Formats: sequence, C-alpha cells, structure tokens
Amino acid sequence: MKPIVELKNLSKTIGKKKIIDQLNLSLYPGQITGFLGPNGAGKTTTIRMMAGLMKPTSGEVIIDGLSLRSNFEEGISKMGAIVENPELYKFMSGYKNLVHFARMHKNVTKKRIDEVISQVGMEKRIHEKVSTYSLGMRQRLGLAQALLNNPKFLILDEPTNGLDPAGIREFRRYLRKIAEEDGVSVLVSSHLLSEIELMCDRIAVIQNGKLVAIREVNSIEQSQYYIEVQPVEKARSILTDKGVIIENYDNGLLINVEQSVIPAIVEQLVQQNIAIYAVSHHRKTLEEQFLEMTGGGQIVESNSK
Amino acid sequence: MLNLIRNEWMKLWHKKSTWVMVALLIAMIIGLVAITKWIDSNTEIPAWEQSVTEELTIVKQQLAVPDLNDETKKSLEDQQMLLQYRLDEGVAPLSNKEFEGFMMDSYGMSSIITLLTVIVAAGIVASEFSQGTIKMLLARPVRRWKILTSKFLTVIAFALFLTVISYVVSLIMGMIFYEASGGSLLEIVNGQVTEVSYWLKSIWLNVLALGDVIIIASFAFAIGTVFRSSSLAIGIAIFLMFTGAQFAFFLRNYEIVKYILFSHTFTQIETGGSFIEGMSTPFSVFVLVGYFVFFLAISYWTFTKRDVTA
Repeated sequence: MKPIVELKNLSKTIGKKKIIDQLNLSLYPGQITGFLGPNGAGKTTTIRMMAGLMKPTSGEVIIDGLSLRSNFEEGISKMGAIVENPELYKFMSGYKNLVHFARMHKNVTKKRIDEVISQVGMEKRIHEKVSTYSLGMRQRLGLAQALLNNPKFLILDEPTNGLDPAGIREFRRYLRKIAEEDGVSVLVSSHLLSEIELMCDRIAVIQNGKLVAIREVNSIEQSQYYIEVQPVEKARSILTDKGVIIENYDNGLLINVEQSVIPAIVEQLVQQNIAIYAVSHHRKTLEEQFLEMTGGGQIVESNSK
Repeated sequence: MLNLIRNEWMKLWHKKSTWVMVALLIAMIIGLVAITKWIDSNTEIPAWEQSVTEELTIVKQQLAVPDLNDETKKSLEDQQMLLQYRLDEGVAPLSNKEFEGFMMDSYGMSSIITLLTVIVAAGIVASEFSQGTIKMLLARPVRRWKILTSKFLTVIAFALFLTVISYVVSLIMGMIFYEASGGSLLEIVNGQVTEVSYWLKSIWLNVLALGDVIIIASFAFAIGTVFRSSSLAIGIAIFLMFTGAQFAFFLRNYEIVKYILFSHTFTQIETGGSFIEGMSTPFSVFVLVGYFVFFLAISYWTFTKRDVTA
C-alpha cells in the first residue's frame, strides 16, 4: 500500500539542540496511528512540521506524494489538523469560524460546512459565540474545522481533552468510520495511553527526537498467562522443573506458555494439591509496553554537553 | 486573496473595539464642530479685505529683505500676486468659519484616524499569536505571504474607510452648521491666477493625509508582526507619532534630519510648512516610500520565516 504521509530523514535543530533527529515514518490510508513519547520527545515539533507551522532543518514531509518544501499549498490541502488546543476566534460564532476557515480552502461549499456541523453534533449551538462554549464543544468545533476540506490525512493533538465519556466514545467511533470508509489516515497524539489503545491500530513511539518503535496495537509477541496459586513457592518449583519461564506479577505468577498447554498445567498443579484461584490470559497494557520502550520515567536526555 | 481579505474584514468587525473606534471618530468630529462653533460665536470676524491687505503688507516687507534665495523669493512673489489679485478683482479667500474652509480643514482629523488605524495595524497579526489562532490560520493551504498581504490590505481598507467616514461626517456637519461664503481658492498655474475647486482640493488633502496614516500604520504593523505584541506596537507607534516631529525639530540643523521619517509627511507637500529647508517634494516622497518598503520588508521577512511555537 502507498503511504499517504512520509517523513523522510526529518530533522529539526533549534539553536544547538537537535529536537528531531533523522525521523522516518510512513502513515497509511485507513490506519489510525497513535503518536506517543515522553514529554519533550519532539511530538509537537514533528506535528508542527507536518502541519506546515515549522520548517524542517533537513529532510522532507511528503503528503500524498507532494513535498511540503516544493508544493506547500497542494500538500497541505490534503491535510486537516488540530494542533494542541483548538484555539478559535472567541468573538465570533462557531459558524463564522467555520466559514472563515472554509474560505481558506478551495471547493469547501456551504453544504459541506453544514455536513461537518451535523457530523460533530453541533447543530444546536453553532450560531452562538465560541466564548460561550465549553472545552468539549470547542474540541468538537476544532474537529469540524479539521474535517472541512475532506482531508486524506488528519492530525489530532490531544483530541479527547475535555470531552465527556459519551463524547469520547462517539469521537472514537467517528474516527474509525472515516478511517475505514473514506480511507483517511489519522495521526493521534495523546498522553492518555488507554485512549490510544482503544482508538489506534498501531503506535509510533518517539524519544529524544528519534523513532523508538512502531508496533501494531493488540499484536501479541508472546503468549502469557497469569495464575494465582497457593502456595506459590511450591508451584514455582513444579513449573520451573517443567521448563516454563516464570515472572512474579502482582500476587501470582506470569507464565510464558501456549494456550494449548494450560489444561495440562492446571491438572498437574491440582494433582500436587495446589489451590488455584485464577488463571487468565495476560496482555501487557500499552502503558507497560510504553514504559518498557521508553525506559521509564526519564523525561528527556540532555543533549547539551 | 479576496476571500482572505473578507476573512480579515469579518474578524475586524466582530470585535467590539472596532465599532467603538468608529463611534469615537464620529463623536470627535461632532464635538470639534460644536466647540469651534461656540468659540467662533464669541469672536468678531474682520472683513476679508482688511486681513488680505494686512497679509499683503507683510509679504511685501519680507520681499524687501535682501539676499533671499530663489525659492523663497518665488513663493513670496506668487503670494503677492495672489493677494493683489483678490483685492483687485474682489475675490474673497476661503474662511474656516464657512463651509468651504471647513471642508478644506477636514483632513485635520487624520491624527485621530492614525491613532485608530495604528491600533488595528498593531493588533492584526499580534492578536493571532496571543489568541493562539495563528496555528489554525497557518495550517492551511495558503502561503504565508498571502495571509500577511491580506492583513495589510485590510489595515489600508480600514484607514480608507475611516477617512471616508470622517469626510462624509464632516460634510454633513458642515452643511448643517456652516454656510457657503462664496469665497474661492486661488492658485498660480503657469504664471496665471486660476481658481481651483475646493472640493477637489479637500479630497486631495484627505488622500495625502491617508498616505501619512498608512506610513505610520505600516510601522505599527511591522512592530506588531516582529514582536507579536500589540501593546508594544501601539505604544511605540503612538509615542513616535507624537514625539517624532519634535525629535526631527531638534535635529533640524544636522544633515541627518532629512532622512528621518518624521521630517516628512505627504500633506506638507500641499500645505508647505516643513521646517527644513531645501527638501523637494520628490525627495520627501522618496524617503516616505523608502521607510514604507523597509517596514513591510521586515514584516514579510519575519512572518514567512518564523516557526510557529505559540
């Protein structure tokens, strides 16, 4: 499949500091990619370069085959974005805001504006001033302006910030829909890992301006099961004798085994008079994976010497 | 581009402060007319023949001074010719206590217009940064220079709008409170005394004043764009607007004064009255346009190069 967005050797140096270092990333149609990284990793800088707000020091941002360096207007016209908070003109109505942004694109009709308004569920209050809106409503209006031009590529920075649980759910479903039906490629940056986990097909993790990992969400590298047994020590020795790899986890153990051998293991433990309280399939949460990939709590390595 | 200007115009008029500015301008004109009318009612107006004769005597005295340079001599002689013509033919000059003279002075509101335009020019880019809307504005398929151009043209349109408002309100006030005197405006064209239309003259003066407004506005626009702070831009522009002329006056004996922005205005081309000798009209225009281009160049350069981090 041909990628919609390609970042090629993207670098950004501000002063003497390398904020982004030789970043390569491809985003494909119909895919929702979560963009993760600790604070100061360079997420916002990358997003700003993709949205045309910052110029890369070197490297290219290519949107639908068009380099932003040489074809800025055509390239950006395929993109919709919310960069950080959706800051809108507070002294105008939501509708006027949309009209304002629609005029900056080619071929965005009045009909399209109304369509977008109903898609984000803002019909009732669209003619009120933005200053009277709640954060959630501004977020919806922000999404509406990003969708105006039917983008092939959508950048969303912290999109669920301020939405209520029903709103988040609706939002997630909506993203899924435009990704699947219209083949839009979506890049979502968020700190809410659980949110990303539910929303995204894959995640890209950056740290210190470098891409650390790209992986599919829900892909299981290894099959792990969690068992809670008593007495633990006895169970451990039995399982170790069988050559099973064991980790301590919570009150029980994590064992690296295939699904097919679980009944045999349970049978064996029962025979040895070990009490079994729980056996469940264990999946590492995104949070655990994230911390594993980025090496924990460190915010950012110092680049200065 | 037209759509971009429509956007800027829409944003401008959705701000309450813009309406307040227009209201203020109208109130100022009305207030000014009321005050001058009141003062005029307490003063005696001498017959025009008397004041023209007095003026003629002064001009003759000045001409009698030896060693006048050619330029001064020429203008004094012209003046003498005009005044003599008025007395001989019985043509009254315009008086600012009558309708024609009042309209001729209507360009005087340009200082208020400058003030208001500076406020808009300073804020039109800076406010996008302070509100954070610059991100939404620039993440669009529109090149930055086009956005900046639309903003500057909107500032000019606003200044033009205020000038028209000021002229129209002056006209209405003039028609209500003043009467036509039947006096006429005389000029010397190719050595002949000719009557000039005061309508054209008053409009021309307003156009020149608009030019001065735009120069100062471009200065405020540049500061607002470079420093992204509208209060700084308003402060500096207004401060220089009021002190600039004095500053230039201090330096009047030095060569450098010729190159200071505030030594020149477009209106003085028509009204005369520069305190610096030997500055020709083309030179003044050259200096003014030079500054104008310089201010815009800085604005464009910073605006198109800058990374948006707001």
